[in-house]
Amino acid sequence: MNEEFLHKWQSQVKKGTLAFILLNLLKDKEMYGYEIIDQISRQVAIDIAEGTLYPLLNRLKTDGLVDSKWVEQQSGIPRKYYTLTLTGKATLDEMSEFWNSLDKSIKKISK
Amino acid sequence: MRLIEFDNKNANQIYLDYIERVKRTTKALSDKDREDILMELNSYIYEYIQENKENGEMSNLLAIIKRIGAPEEILPPVIANKKMDQATHTFNPMHVIKALSLNISNGLSYVAFSILYLLLFCFSFLAIAKIFFPGNIGVFKGENRFYIGLFSDSTIEGTQELLGFWFIPVVLLLSICLYFLITFLMRIRQRFKK
Repeated sequence: MNEEFLHKWQSQVKKGTLAFILLNLLKDKEMYGYEIIDQISRQVAIDIAEGTLYPLLNRLKTDGLVDSKWVEQQSGIPRKYYTLTLTGKATLDEMSEFWNSLDKSIKKISK
Repeated sequence: MRLIEFDNKNANQIYLDYIERVKRTTKALSDKDREDILMELNSYIYEYIQENKENGEMSNLLAIIKRIGAPEEILPPVIANKKMDQATHTFNPMHVIKALSLNISNGLSYVAFSILYLLLFCFSFLAIAKIFFPGNIGVFKGENRFYIGLFSDSTIEGTQELLGFWFIPVVLLLSICLYFLITFLMRIRQRFKK
């Protein structure tokens, strides 16, 4: 096995699916930055650095897929909560459909 | 923005230095956008430290700063995005120029916008230069020839200048139209992206 190749491929796949994972997490619940990182680590076992998540969230917001609001905290340091917009939901549906059909095809050829 | 308080003096200094770097990197933005970025990164730092208290203040701070990365590296795409948003909401030429320069690497359409913008400056330049070189600037028509702009005597030999000093108001008016056109096109593009 070529481990170097495998690692590269794995990190490419992770990078490519990050937006999909993120939108799926936000589908059910609004979340703030650290919470998103924590959930991705728990549920998908991928460690996303804050420096990767922040620009991604920003881009998704510019593209109109997510929206955000500041929520004051007792500590005096507010959290920015992200939610899925209607466009985000519709886009996620299409993404899921694509993902499922890709999954099916891959299963077929890798049998 | 409310700053995080550290017990350790060195940690506090490292934190303040980092915040200062974020401020410096986001200088091009409006106060509101700048504050938004600062608050969000500040929140990342605070939450990380809160969640990993057992590791100690200093090592947490160093870890989260490493996880966020250098502001000079992670913020440029964020800044370019926000600047573009700002440019489409104002008619301030400085915002537009800044937004274009930040976004030029983002695709061909920005190159097109930049060319339109350059054209706009050429027009404005011609309007002013007409005062100093009235004979060489204008709309020239000869037999099978037609020129608009600044030309040497030999090029325009045998042609007739059509507008005279009317060239200045006409070109200025064209510049204004072009300017509005560019801003509206950018706005449409931005909306289309959303």
